[in-house]
Amino acid sequence: MTQESAGRSGLKEWIFTTDHKKIAVMYLITSLVVFTLGLLLAIVMKAGQWSPGNSLVGPKLYNVLFTIHGAGMILWWMIPVFTGFFANLLVPLMIGARDVAFPRLNALSFWFFVGATVMAVLALVTPGRLDIGWTGYPPYSIKTDANTSLYVFAVHLLGASALASAVNFLTTIITMRAPGMTWGRLNLAVWGIFGAFIIQLFGIPVIAGAVTLLLFDKYLGTNFYNATMGGSPILYQHLFWFYAHPAVYVIALPAFGIVSEIVSTFSRKKIFGYTSMVIALMAIAFLGFDVWIHHLFTKGVEDWARIVQSLLTLLIAVPTGIKVFNWLATMHKGSIDFKAPMLYAVGFITLFVIGGVTGIGNGLLAIDIDVHDTLWVVAHFHTVLSMSMTMVAFAGIFFWFPKFTGRMYNERLAKITFWIILIGSLLAFVPYFKLGLEGMPRRYWSYPPEFTSTYRVTVIGGFILIAGFFMTLINIVRSAFAGERATANPWNAKSLEWTIPSPPPSYNFETIPVITAGPYEYGSPEEGKKALPEEAEAF
Amino acid sequence: MKRFLTFAAVSLLFCLPSVALAEEVDPVKSWDNHFRLYAILVTAIWVLVTVLLIYFSLRYRRKKGQGDGASIHGNIFLEIVWTLVPFIIVVLLGVQTWAVFQEYRKVPKNAYELNVQGFMWGWNVTYPDGIKTTNELRVPVGTPVKVNLTSKDVLHAFYIPEYKVQEEAIPGRTTYFWFLPTKAGEYRAYCTEFCGAGHSLMLAEVHAMDKADFQAWVAKYKEAAAALSPVEKGKKLVDGLGCLGCHTITGEKSTGPTLKGIFGSSVVLSDGRKIIANEEYIEHSISEPKRDIVKGYSPIMPPYKLSDEDLHAITEYLKTLK
Repeated sequence: MTQESAGRSGLKEWIFTTDHKKIAVMYLITSLVVFTLGLLLAIVMKAGQWSPGNSLVGPKLYNVLFTIHGAGMILWWMIPVFTGFFANLLVPLMIGARDVAFPRLNALSFWFFVGATVMAVLALVTPGRLDIGWTGYPPYSIKTDANTSLYVFAVHLLGASALASAVNFLTTIITMRAPGMTWGRLNLAVWGIFGAFIIQLFGIPVIAGAVTLLLFDKYLGTNFYNATMGGSPILYQHLFWFYAHPAVYVIALPAFGIVSEIVSTFSRKKIFGYTSMVIALMAIAFLGFDVWIHHLFTKGVEDWARIVQSLLTLLIAVPTGIKVFNWLATMHKGSIDFKAPMLYAVGFITLFVIGGVTGIGNGLLAIDIDVHDTLWVVAHFHTVLSMSMTMVAFAGIFFWFPKFTGRMYNERLAKITFWIILIGSLLAFVPYFKLGLEGMPRRYWSYPPEFTSTYRVTVIGGFILIAGFFMTLINIVRSAFAGERATANPWNAKSLEWTIPSPPPSYNFETIPVITAGPYEYGSPEEGKKALPEEAEAF
Repeated sequence: MKRFLTFAAVSLLFCLPSVALAEEVDPVKSWDNHFRLYAILVTAIWVLVTVLLIYFSLRYRRKKGQGDGASIHGNIFLEIVWTLVPFIIVVLLGVQTWAVFQEYRKVPKNAYELNVQGFMWGWNVTYPDGIKTTNELRVPVGTPVKVNLTSKDVLHAFYIPEYKVQEEAIPGRTTYFWFLPTKAGEYRAYCTEFCGAGHSLMLAEVHAMDKADFQAWVAKYKEAAAALSPVEKGKKLVDGLGCLGCHTITGEKSTGPTLKGIFGSSVVLSDGRKIIANEEYIEHSISEPKRDIVKGYSPIMPPYKLSDEDLHAITEYLKTLK
């Protein structure tokens, strides 16, 4: 969207583009479309849970709805918005490059992603609708009449897209940093994206293999997961979660980076403990690969393996805690301006701690023996994904909105929707913790009558939340066309992407900049002398 | 900080010996203690973070004309504190969870053993006396109960919220869990592994019965069984234990060899030996199926612990299948 062509650029220019900023916008549009679809499915599911045994949805449709909702929200909204939209938008601008290392490969990644999206939509509307859950566990996914192949091929295409992106962005970050842009001067958002793509690179081949074997078992008569012929259905779960657990950090690491950018910019303070932030990001990326068995704590896995992976799971709380306390310390003695992105970031921190500490509950082997596959788990991962990570996605979209559209979003509407989303999320998901502890399993279309009133709270909360999300979507779409014109640096931020016009010209930088300082050079030195945070010592 | 460490050390000392010293182990009690400690610690962390967040948000809100915040890039001491304290907390919780998990896995020697098989969509329960029920688990209060779990078709999971325990039912494999019924009553059991259209309705009732009631219930069943001849009893066992899931009585091959005409026939084993299927062979093929595997079949049959009388009855029944 260069200035002279904005508004006049033809469709052709978008389809054949290799410009990372245009590709970023197309990723955002595609994933927002699937996000909207996921919300619509959630509305139907929620409506059907107003009373137990409600016939509005029924068991068969419910199984299809939660399958597409889960797959869509994770594989088409959360992962692509961070590794597609934010990675494309931010990496070249933040490292001082004119584009990614392989621009045409980047376009191919995007179009593979579109192909996968078309398949996912087909899986919803063609006969043999998917009812296997986004996890697709055999033997059920093999025995059912559902068109498992469509899902498998969609995962293959997504995987090809993500692997190409991983190679592309890792190469870009390693080799194309501007002169003076040392590893110690990289934005934390770039570090987060770097960690995310390392996970993609090592994890995706495994899940691609796992679903391929599923396809062979179902259509070619092989027996990899067939217990009666010497295979093992649990093998699939190991292979699946070997990627699908680290995939959570593919979402979380860039999100952590984005929160760091926002907290530092709006507190007008250096990020507290830059080095420990980087170490924490990389530690999470590494540990993330050693904890998948916590998804199999009640699946007859060897006792010792469960204990080892329980302890490793708990260790992830340590680097995660470091990040939370460093954000707090960054706000301490800051000069905090509560623009919408900052409001979302602060909301994220408190909600994310709920998600994080309930994750410790899942990770505690003995506790998990009770809460596994109950609504407790559903509450946990919706607190992390739907509440925390989606909030970061919105925070980031608003923060860089002036940069990638050249226009400002509606500040007042964004602030109002923050409170609607916060209240809606708490009402929709916190009661699930209670239901889970009372023994209510997940993926149940109906429920025992004694849970009716708690379910109704979640239904009402869900509708409030969805209203908030739709208001955000309206804000994004409306402001993209009719928002106020933005200046190059509306936040007066110090990071590299704000030194060029909004929106940036297609070549980004007229001359490649020479970097002499880090991205968070805020702070008045005379105040720093007397500033030693005492409050935190109370801990 | 010091106080916290003392608290941590005391809790640690408290949770470890309780495993060794308790007279009658009940994982539910240990679970409750474990969950309480966990809930207190993590709630404290959340409150701390949220209070600081709100305080900083109000205290350091930008005033008109204010410039940048203070120039602070970090503080090694603080960073060590918030690395070490969470580390200590998770190690403490991790050690406790380990201890509680061991209670879950160590089945008391006097446990009453049940076999439960999940299917789309329900639960078959087989008792040591050959009694069979569906979607109904009757257990005596005060005696530990061990459940050997498997599945007929797809993955299921058997979950009893009252006893805070669940385990996966996996086709071709036997998993186990145990619990201690402490109070008479009726409790719900759910399937917690998604298994298709009937998943939401795959419930079972757990009846914890006082010992006398339970014995009366068993006696009533046994009485009915005692009136049977050995052959009739054997047929009932073969039908009830689910043998026919893998063995036919019509002469066709299935997952396992057919039972038709098996008694007295000559059998080639996987190691090449050739033997005659006599009483002894039939009986140890049921109690120790992996000892002699018939050539061409996989060693996947789980062992069945039956009384000598039941084994004899089955053999008598097999003799009639010609």
